[in-house]
Amino acid sequence: MTSEEFSNEVVKLLQQMNNNIEKLNSKLDSLIGLQESVKDLLIPEKKISYEGLPLDVATLLSLPDHLRKTALALTEVGEATATDISQKTGRVRAAESDYLNQLVTKGYVKKKRKSHDVYFYIEAK
Amino acid sequence: MPKSIVIHSYKGGTGKTSISANIAALYAKNGKNVCLLDYDFRAPSMQVLFKPDVHNTLNDFLEEKCEINDAIKDVSSKYQLKGHLYVGFADASTESMKDMMTKDRNWEMKALHRTLSGKNKLYNELDIDFLIFDTSPGVSYSSINALVSSDFIIVVSKMDDFDMAGTKEMIHGIYSSLGRKTGLLLNRIPTEQFPLGAGQKELENAMGKKFNLPFLGIIPCYCDVQVNGGKYLFVVEQPKHPFCQALSEVINRMEKHLEKT
Repeated sequence: MTSEEFSNEVVKLLQQMNNNIEKLNSKLDSLIGLQESVKDLLIPEKKISYEGLPLDVATLLSLPDHLRKTALALTEVGEATATDISQKTGRVRAAESDYLNQLVTKGYVKKKRKSHDVYFYIEAK
Repeated sequence: MPKSIVIHSYKGGTGKTSISANIAALYAKNGKNVCLLDYDFRAPSMQVLFKPDVHNTLNDFLEEKCEINDAIKDVSSKYQLKGHLYVGFADASTESMKDMMTKDRNWEMKALHRTLSGKNKLYNELDIDFLIFDTSPGVSYSSINALVSSDFIIVVSKMDDFDMAGTKEMIHGIYSSLGRKTGLLLNRIPTEQFPLGAGQKELENAMGKKFNLPFLGIIPCYCDVQVNGGKYLFVVEQPKHPFCQALSEVINRMEKHLEKT
């Protein structure tokens, strides 16, 4: 095989590789698009906005029992760490931390860092 | 340790106002420092009984126009009570009652936090032993705000089916959801149909089972309490009246439940 023939063979292989990569890219784009549309269908709760709903007594009464207990304890003390709330409810700190963060995700409770501690609080709007 | 007590009922006309005012006065008579708050903003009544001078109201306190100490009045000297009896009045003008109907959820949430901070201020600054809320019947924001602020709920019911069915629903739907200790008090019982005496224990057991709650007592229907309940405090003017003796027993039973942790 002459050097010219060798070069042509290499260019041909590179072109095949480029075509294959473009096909793969196109398939990946389709998959990503499909995944996005399916995600929207499968997780509709992500689109629900809790923004604007205050943690008033109507909200408190509508919460599931485990979150209500945490929310009531926080309502009574105003501002607290997960440890403070666990002392008030008698449940373990890790559980209270989880419940407090669920209340943050729902938009009822806010949190802030003070030194090494995370404090949860209810903001009156 | 100070305690907060709410007197509540499903329907109106169960005698909440007379019961809360007389329990408050009874505690003060026994040397306790008590604060009685009229949280029935839909139909304020305490001003009829205590006839206060012009004064800041609890509406002003919730609107952040004054502090809780400025919205209560010490009436103990008027009744020669051993302890202090402070009373906070709701604004009884129709303008104010209409205004309370227009409040939104954010305002009600602030009112809840204001109630809780006011409670702590009363405990810390006035050395209050008992904070007593009189409330609107049924499910209203001000009543539930008071319930959330309480250590013990006295639910008052009459012996009619409407009241008892509603009371049962509230026990499951509201009181237990809030995790508050609750006791049942039957008031205005027609003794012709439900003779007390020997039959009282049997009735108490039946009601205890029906509602699955601690039973605080049965108070017969006294016409004079209904007629004069807004004129004077029975525990002051007629301390030997069976209504007052029944309330003493209610207090004893409630305290036993409050002591339990």
